[in-house]
Amino acid sequence: MVGVTNALNVVADGLPADVLPPVPEATAGAEARAVLDEIRDFYGELPAPFLTLARDPRYLSDLWSAVRRAFDDQRLTRRLKEALAFAVSLTSRSRFGAGFHLAQMRRLGIGDAGVMEIVGVTQMFSSYTKIADTLQLESDMADIAPIDPTPAPGGQPAVVRSPAGPHRRGRQ
Amino acid sequence: MPTVRLRDVSEYPEAAQKLFELSKSWFAYDFITPPAMSRVMAWDPEFGGPHGRAMKRAMTSGEFTRAEKEMVAAVVSGVNACHY
Repeated sequence: MVGVTNALNVVADGLPADVLPPVPEATAGAEARAVLDEIRDFYGELPAPFLTLARDPRYLSDLWSAVRRAFDDQRLTRRLKEALAFAVSLTSRSRFGAGFHLAQMRRLGIGDAGVMEIVGVTQMFSSYTKIADTLQLESDMADIAPIDPTPAPGGQPAVVRSPAGPHRRGRQ
Repeated sequence: MPTVRLRDVSEYPEAAQKLFELSKSWFAYDFITPPAMSRVMAWDPEFGGPHGRAMKRAMTSGEFTRAEKEMVAAVVSGVNACHY
């Protein structure tokens, strides 16, 4: 989710219309239009970066499949994912991303108080991270959230090396 | 290696010691030594106090749960490439 959020923000903020104009939807081919319709259904609007990417319908289609997979309701809700994408966009100073994901948060029913909660957490941890980095503080809270050996979906459990030899950990 | 000397817990006044105890319940974790960030923020209570209260207000469950907010904090830390 963090990755594809940045992927859209990079195109939106780095390729404004006067640099690489979006493809007018009416002139896009049938393959691209089918994908664009799906995107509009998902968001209730058609975000500009997808029109820019419609120059290559197959790339657009694969990228959209990845974005949809990342943002769909799964273990985490879409509502939370839009809030996370908003925080990512604020932190990476993406004007497009901040505006777009804020609009999506509101569309999914998040009110002013909820928006301010995300702004507050983003701001507070932008402060803490800079303090920690400036002072080069060493992580001393790793025991609270140790490295999770759970594999990515479809992946093999991690092999943990120990003096007694390798053994597998993670959900089987 | 930190660029500043982190004070030992015993060097802090009683009020800060109480805050260190409160941080155990906030994180639901029995720290042997208060986290480095807590010790840094307690250097100057007039800065660390309001900053800590703002953090607590931001992190308390509201429209989003504390757990969801911890995820927001994690992605912000990740985008800022902060290992701490």
